[in-house]
Amino acid sequence: MTFIRRYLIPRLIQYVLVTFLGITAVFFIPRFLPNDPIVRTITAIQSRGATLDPATIDETVTNLKRMYGLEGSWLEQYGNFWLRLFRADFGVSFFQFPTPVSKLIGIALPWTAGLLLTTTFLNWTLGNIIGGLAGYYSRNRWSRALDAVAMVIRPLPYYIFAFALLLLLAYWVRWFPVSGGTAIGRKVAFNWPFIKDVLWHSFLPALSLTILGGAVNFQTMKLIVQNVNAENYVQYAKLGGINESRIVSKYVIRNAILPQITNLALALGQIFSGALITEIVFSYPGLGTLLYNAIVTGDYNLIMGITTISIVAITTAILVVDLLYPFWDPRIRYM
Amino acid sequence: MEVTRIVEVEGTPVVETVIETQEVVVTATPVPVEKEEAPDVLGVLPRNETVIADILTGRVGTPGNFNDWVGWKWRDRGMQNLAWEPLWLVDFATGKIINGLADGDPIYSDDFTTLTIPLRQGVAWHDGEPFTAADVVYTIETLVKYDGFNAHSYFADNVKSVSAPDDYTVEIELTQSNSRFHTRFLDRWGVTHIMPKHIFEKEADPVAFEFNPVVGTGPYKLHSYDESGFWTIWEKREDWDKSPTGIMYGEPKPKYVVLQYFANEGAKILAQLTHQADYLNLSSDGLKAVLAQCESCRAYQPTFPWVVNNDPCITGIVFNSTIPPYDNKDVRWALLLAINIPEYMGIAVDGTGVLSPVHIPSLGTYPENFIKPMVSWLTDFELDLGNGEKFKPYDPTAPAQEAEYAVGRGYIFPNDPAYIEKAFGIGWYKYAPDEAAKLLEKNGFSKNADGQWLLPDGEPWQIRCVSNTDTTTHGYRNCIAATQQWKKFGIDAEPYPTEAAADLNNTGDFEVSGNWPAQEPWGAGPDLYRTLDLWNSEYVKPNGEVTGGQVGRWSSPEMDAVIKKLRETDPTDSEAVIEVGIEGLKIAVTEMPGIPTYGYVGFMSWDETYWSNWPGSENAYTQPYAHWGNFKYMMPFLEPTGK
Amino acid sequence: MKTFRDLFRDYRFALSFCVLCLLLILAALSIFAPYDPTLWGVVPRDLKPSWTYLLGTDSKGQDIFWQATFAVRNSLTISVIAATASRIIAILVGMVAGYRGKGADRGLMFISDSLLVIPLFLIIVLLAMLVRDRMNLVTLGLLLAFFGWAWDARVIRSLILSLREREFTQTAILSGTGTVRLVLNEYMPYATPLVFSTLINNMAWAIGLEITLAILGLINPNLPTLGTMLQSAIIHQAVLLGRWWWVLTPVILSIFLFVALYWLSVSISEYLDPRTRIQRVGGQ
Repeated sequence: MTFIRRYLIPRLIQYVLVTFLGITAVFFIPRFLPNDPIVRTITAIQSRGATLDPATIDETVTNLKRMYGLEGSWLEQYGNFWLRLFRADFGVSFFQFPTPVSKLIGIALPWTAGLLLTTTFLNWTLGNIIGGLAGYYSRNRWSRALDAVAMVIRPLPYYIFAFALLLLLAYWVRWFPVSGGTAIGRKVAFNWPFIKDVLWHSFLPALSLTILGGAVNFQTMKLIVQNVNAENYVQYAKLGGINESRIVSKYVIRNAILPQITNLALALGQIFSGALITEIVFSYPGLGTLLYNAIVTGDYNLIMGITTISIVAITTAILVVDLLYPFWDPRIRYM
Repeated sequence: MEVTRIVEVEGTPVVETVIETQEVVVTATPVPVEKEEAPDVLGVLPRNETVIADILTGRVGTPGNFNDWVGWKWRDRGMQNLAWEPLWLVDFATGKIINGLADGDPIYSDDFTTLTIPLRQGVAWHDGEPFTAADVVYTIETLVKYDGFNAHSYFADNVKSVSAPDDYTVEIELTQSNSRFHTRFLDRWGVTHIMPKHIFEKEADPVAFEFNPVVGTGPYKLHSYDESGFWTIWEKREDWDKSPTGIMYGEPKPKYVVLQYFANEGAKILAQLTHQADYLNLSSDGLKAVLAQCESCRAYQPTFPWVVNNDPCITGIVFNSTIPPYDNKDVRWALLLAINIPEYMGIAVDGTGVLSPVHIPSLGTYPENFIKPMVSWLTDFELDLGNGEKFKPYDPTAPAQEAEYAVGRGYIFPNDPAYIEKAFGIGWYKYAPDEAAKLLEKNGFSKNADGQWLLPDGEPWQIRCVSNTDTTTHGYRNCIAATQQWKKFGIDAEPYPTEAAADLNNTGDFEVSGNWPAQEPWGAGPDLYRTLDLWNSEYVKPNGEVTGGQVGRWSSPEMDAVIKKLRETDPTDSEAVIEVGIEGLKIAVTEMPGIPTYGYVGFMSWDETYWSNWPGSENAYTQPYAHWGNFKYMMPFLEPTGK
Repeated sequence: MKTFRDLFRDYRFALSFCVLCLLLILAALSIFAPYDPTLWGVVPRDLKPSWTYLLGTDSKGQDIFWQATFAVRNSLTISVIAATASRIIAILVGMVAGYRGKGADRGLMFISDSLLVIPLFLIIVLLAMLVRDRMNLVTLGLLLAFFGWAWDARVIRSLILSLREREFTQTAILSGTGTVRLVLNEYMPYATPLVFSTLINNMAWAIGLEITLAILGLINPNLPTLGTMLQSAIIHQAVLLGRWWWVLTPVILSIFLFVALYWLSVSISEYLDPRTRIQRVGGQ
């Protein structure tokens, strides 16, 4: 009972507060910027021909304001935002008027989630296993070689690295497509040709993310394990003749993994803001470019839609990790 | 290396062969180690029956919504360029206005309060319903009725009544005299398109209607589209002969046309190198990369300067003339004289643009109609430098200097006045930093010990040139080039690329910008109404409000008088229209609200692996772009190569 | 001096120290640059590396070698400002939160969580637009620092959390060791390697983010950094036009920079943490 009263309840209150504060912040910040959705819409139409009359621009502004629901003070709009949110309604996108925000997110999210969930788990698992082993056997030749490789790969600017993969595997050796999430004309369907097509198109983006992300996890894990390895208890265990694999799994990895779990939770939470540069290099559909375009066009509703999901995902991930900590590290108790 | 050069000079194609002796500047990456067949990008379409072009305006944000009358719908994804036909359409390559759904020019009453539009017969919508005057009447009436439509305010203000005396005639009664009303239906990248009445009238709310699948009168109908907005596929309609395109030019050749989005230029180029894209919009260097590595690819011009340089749009620098010191024409002129134009052009577009000394581009009929008749006036035009000193800034040798630059870069370019005029224009202004300094000193500017210019109040002069962040746009290119020139002149000038550029421009929250120095003209015909009218003082809004006119917010009573005169001139009376137009241009040059530099340059490439007979400069049967409405008129002329 | 000699026994330290010195010299050379790095067209364009132009010239008519000196200097400045400032915040917050627990922990974690949950990129792009044309090296560095500490504060906190439960903490507290001494003497040795690794992570992150912002065109293209150098190589299609010297210069420079920093941090932290040092020396 003390656990619930002294830890769980305050933690849950904090969870709600952080979520609320985050959402409030992203509601107001874009409104301080020069990016105005009305001006954006007008410019888009105006610069593309003569369908807006200069003499009637005021009227057009008023009409657009009404259609976008941007009448009234910021506070009224803020109130309306929460009212709508509780009905799970994010409103319509302005720049992509009148498409509902939920529809835009619904189309982009599967691409992002599919790609980033896979690669995040993959590079976390691979990076940590290989990094852990390399840290434990840090004197071995292969460990040093891997370290050297990771050291060179990691600082490569992602854009260049990804483009080099594209050049190599889509142009010189034409194994993979140059762009897109699917072949042109391929309709979304749950059959093997479609799935095969998606996998084929997402291979290069996934590869680029896995290699670079894996190198980061590898290096971090290797450093941590090297330190744990130097701890007294590990040395005692070795001297005591305990089986190596037992030492690695029971003592070393278990102690080293704690900070890495925090990292995983945060990385998983960040997924919902997408992978912008990946999407740009590989012309891959997803939330990254959707959010970026929303920012630059001042598409408040779309910004709110994506960031609200993202904020809830991250706070929840952190909450879960905090609550689960004792299971990994029994030394942490909630008094 | 032997190069065949085909350049049109004064209408006659000239073919000549030159031997390239110099080392070509363009260097190439090694050829692919493995010559493999291109992977099949097309899930369902036969490649050799398909044209693939990229979308200029980017990834489609509203893939399932084709209601172009509301908001912004990425209409160059195939809607305006394949599926729809306008009443009239501008072709800047031939300088002609083409009748689409209309059967001839509009007929105005003498006081410009009514007009009659004859319509083409034998046209059908994609679903087989005949196109009639009822559709036009319905469109106008619907636009007047619902305020959610973009054009609502205009039509509500201008149209008193609209009727159809018969199936192929429309009569419109206007609320006030308006000699340019029909231009709302004249397509030059954007126009009011006609709604199919039989579809729209079934909808309770035509503003919210998604119009999916889209129905038009053009030769192609919607096949399918990507939910994520990366591609849209159009299929040739079986009754293509019921579209104005088919009626005028015959059967379109490609069975399918794909409009595709690439998120970065590198991938776009790789797509063309692997023959997965037939038409691309590129950057200056992107085009070089394609030409260096793709044997089957070509640019609009077969040789240097390669680019499309007949786009009816003038680029340059615009000043916010409500903010000091840019409210002073001497300051604006001084900044112009600080520009060394061949150097500027080298930085901006590697010397490929056509210069124009006035606020319309030097292309098509504009040089003959306007710029050449103005040369003597330009030559005599004087600036008052103060202390009784005068200066004549016009420089007829500027194009030759640009040609010299090109030769210095290793490009082959003949030293022939006719070529030079065609490629680089008639003239520009002198590089005159000393005279610029005098103009500034006359207005109280001074230089500090480091040679940096100070404003009249003694503060250092800082210029931040606003442009968007897309490095391929001419706003960005002009800002980079201009700030370089002004920096050399002793001003703390930097480019300021920002994603908020459109907003800053439209609300006047800028001082200097890479925006258009003047509104682009129609691109066909001698009427400059479109350009001049945007300087109307009625449209100027205070900084902070969205402007309807030029973003620079410049206006003058003299220009207002010219605009008024032009409104009262019959748009079809060429001589009268040209005379008033020249009067307007003279005011613009004298006041210099923005600096016109070069006409819009299009870096565009075609792959001839699957399709040939593209409208290149030697064979410019139509405008060359895929994003203009005229793209559909290119389709009957393309020839399959049989691969 | 002895410390230095000891450190130099580690080849990684020796090597990375030399590389870093070279990079610093390169950065310092920018003072003697014969060209203004913001001016175009000062040298012939698109030339391969030669004795006149050591690293060749680019399509803008700039000398890549001299551009690189400015780029290294500016990128180092940004990342050092960002990493140092954010490390100070991260260590303070992480240690206080982890050690004091309860109210302080909740308060600090509330602040860092709130920062973490807002999509970082959104805020940086928005702020970059807000500071507009006043964006320079220092504001960019501080901007990145302000958003770069929250994650690592959490990592340090979780380390302290687990250390706090260890026996030696109890022993130390029972024997009357003060909080400050406890943290400095007992916790810092454990935390230092982590701090160093997060420092490198953070510098990598700062430089990486700077490159991303530059590629998106949000940084003044005339301010030479590794990011803007790379961006101009990308937009001028240097890769596809075969101008390898232009692309490789910023890429190789960043690799050198990172490898040097990484090895430096590894060898210093091993030196600082006596247990690994004994192990290593014993092994030799």
